[in-house]
Amino acid sequence: MIEIKKTLPIRIILLSALFFTTLCGLAQEKEKITPTVTLQYLKNSEDQRILHAVLTYSKDRMEIPLQGFGISFFKGTGKELVTSVVTDSKGIATVEIGKDQKLASDSKGMWTFSSEFKGNDTIDACTAEVTVKDVILEVSLTGDSIRTVTLRAFSLENGKEVPAKGEVVKVGVPRMFSQLPIGEVTLDDSGSGSLEFPSDLPGDKDGNLTIIAKFEENPTFGNVEKINIVKWGIPSDYTKPTVHRALWTKVAPRWMIITLTILLSGVWGHYLYAVISLVRIRIDARKKEKEEHRL
Amino acid sequence: MQADNKLLKDLTPEIENTSYRWYAVFFIFLVFFAIGIYGLIQQIDKGHIVTGMRDNVVWGFYIVNFIFFMGLSYSGALISGVLHLFGTQWRKPIIRMAELITVISLVIGPFFIFFCIGRLDRLYFLFIYPRIQSPITWDVIAIMTDLVGCFIYLYLSFIEDFAILRDYADLNVPEWKKKLYRILSLGFTGTEKQLKILGNARTIMSAMIIAIAIIVYSVLAWIFGVTLQPGWHSTIFGPYFVIAAVYSGTGLLIILMWIFRKIYHLEEYITRRHFVNVGVLLTVIAAFYGYFTFSDYLTKWYGSIKMDSILIDKLFTEYYSLFIFANYIGILLPGIIIAFPKFRTIPNITVAAAIALLALWVNRYIIVIPTLETPFLPIQDTRPAWINYAPTWVEWALTIAGVSIFAMLFMLISKIAPIISISEMQEKDKEEILH
Repeated sequence: MIEIKKTLPIRIILLSALFFTTLCGLAQEKEKITPTVTLQYLKNSEDQRILHAVLTYSKDRMEIPLQGFGISFFKGTGKELVTSVVTDSKGIATVEIGKDQKLASDSKGMWTFSSEFKGNDTIDACTAEVTVKDVILEVSLTGDSIRTVTLRAFSLENGKEVPAKGEVVKVGVPRMFSQLPIGEVTLDDSGSGSLEFPSDLPGDKDGNLTIIAKFEENPTFGNVEKINIVKWGIPSDYTKPTVHRALWTKVAPRWMIITLTILLSGVWGHYLYAVISLVRIRIDARKKEKEEHRL
Repeated sequence: MQADNKLLKDLTPEIENTSYRWYAVFFIFLVFFAIGIYGLIQQIDKGHIVTGMRDNVVWGFYIVNFIFFMGLSYSGALISGVLHLFGTQWRKPIIRMAELITVISLVIGPFFIFFCIGRLDRLYFLFIYPRIQSPITWDVIAIMTDLVGCFIYLYLSFIEDFAILRDYADLNVPEWKKKLYRILSLGFTGTEKQLKILGNARTIMSAMIIAIAIIVYSVLAWIFGVTLQPGWHSTIFGPYFVIAAVYSGTGLLIILMWIFRKIYHLEEYITRRHFVNVGVLLTVIAAFYGYFTFSDYLTKWYGSIKMDSILIDKLFTEYYSLFIFANYIGILLPGIIIAFPKFRTIPNITVAAAIALLALWVNRYIIVIPTLETPFLPIQDTRPAWINYAPTWVEWALTIAGVSIFAMLFMLISKIAPIISISEMQEKDKEEILH
C-alpha cells in the first residue's frame, strides 16, 4: 500500500505527460493537401505532340504549385505508360511524344492521354485526362497589296480528309508580352477560311513578322498551332536610343548626382575634420607623455 | 585631468554601484525584449502572415516605430546641437541625455525596417544595385551618414569625461572599466591646445548634426511625400516631419530627465528650471506642430480630391479617437499645462511630455495606416479581411521590445559614463547652469 502511495504521483505525472503528448500530436496532425493536375495537349508547328501537366493545390483562393513530384504520363485507353517527369518550381511537367510513336485511336479516331500523380502521406493522388483528335492545319500567306491568310484544317479518317468545319482558328502576332490578336476565322464546310492581314504592323529590322494560326483549347483538337514568318511588317529600327537620364532610367539625373555629391562630400568632409581632431589630440597627448617621461 | 570633487562624488556613484532595483528593472526590460525576440523568431519561421500586414496595408507597426525612433534620434541631435551651438548655459546637465537619445534611437530605428522586409536575404541588393533616384537609397545613405556623425559627436562630448574618470583616483570600478577610460580618453589631459582642438571639433559637429538631422528626417518624410498616395503626397511633409520629430524628442527628453533625476537623485543638478525651459520649448514646438498639422489637413480637405476626401472621412470616423488624441489633445494639452505658470510643476511638465510623446506615436500611426487602407487603385485579388489593419501580438511584442532595448541601452550606458556631463558642469558660474 505504501509502495502504491509513493509511486502514485509519479504515475499521474507520467500519464498526464502521455495524455498531453498525444493531444499535441493529434493537434499537430496536418490535413492532407488535395491537389489538382491539369493536362493540356499541344501540337506545335513542327508537328511535335507535347503533353503539359500542371500540379497545384488551392490555398486561400490561390493556386500554389507543387514542385518536385513525379507525374506519370499515359497514352491510350489502356493507359500505356509513356514516361514520368518531375514537376519544376511552377509545378509543371512536360513530355514530348515523338512523331514516330504509334498512338492507338478509338472508334471515333480520338487519342486519349492521361497524367497521374500518385500522392503520398501528405498529398492526395489526382489524375487528369485529355482526349483529342489529330488535325492538320495548313496556312498559306498570299497577296502583296492586300495580304490574306488562308487556312485549311482537316483530319484523316481511314486515309480520307474530313474538313474541320465550323471550328474557330485564331490568328495572332507575338509582341513583347503576349500575342496581338489579328482575327478569328470560322472554317466553312470545306474546312477553309481566310482573313485579311493588316499592312501597318511593325516587324523586325527586315520587316519580318511571325504569324501564328492556332486552335486554342479546342474541345476536339486541343491546342494546335502553325507558325509562319513572312516579310509583311514595316521594317523597324530597334537600336537603343541614347541613354536618357530620368527617375525611371538606370542613370540618375545629373542634378541629383551633383547635389548628392556636394551634400555627402560636405558632410563627410566635416566628419574627417572631426576624426583628424581626435588624432591631433592623441598625438598631442603622446607628446606630452613623452615629455613627462623624459623629465 | 582633475574635476570638482563634489561633482565627482555626486555623479560617479551611478557608475560605481549597481543596486538591486537596477537589476530588477533591467530584468523586466530583458523579459519584454526576450518576448519580442520570440515573436521575431515566429515571424522568421512562419513569415509575415503572423503580422497584421497584408496586400493592402503593407506597412504597419514596424514602419510607425521606425519613423518614431528615427524622429526621436533627429530631435535629440537637433536639441543638443542647437543648445551647444548657441552656448546655452542651462543645457549642460541635460545635453548628454539628448545626445544619448540621438544615438540609441538611431541604432534601434532601422531594425524595424528589417522586421518589415519580407525578403531580408535580399537586403544587400540595396547596396549592390543602388539607384540614386530611389528615396529608399537616399534613406540608406542618410541613415548611415547620420549614424557615423552622431557617434562622432557623442564621442567628442564624452572624451573629457573619460579623461576625468581615468584620473579620478577614488573611483571604485573594475579594472576593465579603468582600462576602457584610458583607451577612450585618447590621453586627453585638458591642455589649452587639446581643449581648443576639441572645442572646434565639437562646434563644427554640433552645427553639422543639426543640418544632417534636418536633411535626414526630410529624406524620410520624402519617402512618403514623393509617393502618389492619398494623404502622403504633400510638399509640407519634410518640415512637418522635422517639427513632429523635435516635438516627440523634447517630450522624451523631459521624461528621461524626470526618470534619471529620480533614480540617481540628481535633484541638485536637474532642477525645476530645466523642466520649465524644456517645457516651454515643448510648448513652442507644439504650436508649430499644430500649425503644420492644420495646414496639411486643411489643404487636403479644401482641395476635395476624391481619395483625400475619403481619407479625411476615414480619419474622422474609423480613426476618430486616435485622430483627436494625436492632433488635438496631443497638441493642446501639453501646451495648456506648460503655458500657465501655475501648472508648471515637474510632475505636470512630465505628464505633458508623456502625452506629447504618445500623441506623436499615434500621429505616425494615422499617417501610415489609413492611407494604405485607402488605395488609389483597387488591389488585385484582395479580400475584405485585408482592407483594415490590426496589429498582432508579434508586432506588439517587437514594439515593446524596441522600447525595452532603448531603456536597457540607456541603463547600460549610464553604468559606463555619467548621465550628466561632469566636464560641462565644471563651470564656475553654477547659478547660471542650475537656477
